[in-house]
Amino acid sequence: MAALSRRQLAAYAADQLLDGRGPRALSKELAAVLVHSKRANQAELLADDIAYELESGGRAANATVTTAHELSEQLRKDIVSFVKKSVDVKEVIIDEVIDESVIGGVRVDTAGHSWDKTLRRKLTQVQEAV
Amino acid sequence: MILPVTQFAADNSSSGISSLGINLKSFVFQLITFLIVLLILRRWVFPKLVATLEARRKALEDSLVQAKQTEEALQSAEKKVGEMLQEARVQADAILAEANSKVDAIIAKGEASASERAARIVAEAEERLGLERERLHKELRGELASLVATATEKVLRQKINAQEDRKLIEQSLKELA
Repeated sequence: MAALSRRQLAAYAADQLLDGRGPRALSKELAAVLVHSKRANQAELLADDIAYELESGGRAANATVTTAHELSEQLRKDIVSFVKKSVDVKEVIIDEVIDESVIGGVRVDTAGHSWDKTLRRKLTQVQEAV
Repeated sequence: MILPVTQFAADNSSSGISSLGINLKSFVFQLITFLIVLLILRRWVFPKLVATLEARRKALEDSLVQAKQTEEALQSAEKKVGEMLQEARVQADAILAEANSKVDAIIAKGEASASERAARIVAEAEERLGLERERLHKELRGELASLVATATEKVLRQKINAQEDRKLIEQSLKELA
């Protein structure tokens, strides 16, 4: 029997999560498949693929929000609303990252999209334009 | 034969000849001696002498003829040498003219080649200079941009606090929406 592709595994995992299966049990199952098919080093890539499947299917998006300062509750809601509308998903999970090197503004990264409105990015653009 | 002659001479010694103061006997004797000597000379000496002289004369004539021939040959050779020299001069002049022409052509070609090479070197140098200038300008622009970015970043870090950052994020979300 041919091994399932990583994309097929990701689609299966996304379906299982949406069906309400617990993530711990699913993770064990996926890990067993990867080890058996000698692809244990592709675990991170599979996680990215699962996130992409969830996002592209309009189910859920995992957004990494990078700012120089901590977000207020209102900003979190605004960002969730923005991602829901832009990616067209029902659920949005935010991972906040504080990175002072961005100086100011916000960068939002999902599995299939990226928005960078940081001052660091603007400075880099100016520098590149010069 | 000699005795009758001397006898005759002795008999007539006191006659007319003696009166002239000549000793007839002695005269006859000397005459006979002379004749004998003459005969000997004609018989053995003169022919060899004449032959020797004739041989010498002939050799001399041959030498003269040979000298004349040699002189003619020399004149002919000199004439030929003169002609050859003249021909050699003409050929040398022609070769010299041709060589001068070739030298002129070579010099002209060399000058053209040198000019072309110099122009190429100058063009290459100008191109390198232009590239170097462009590189320096680019580096300078990069340095300047880096300085501006660094200075701007420092200013922004001083100006942007949490409140300002919040306003900035709100504005960014509005722009994105």
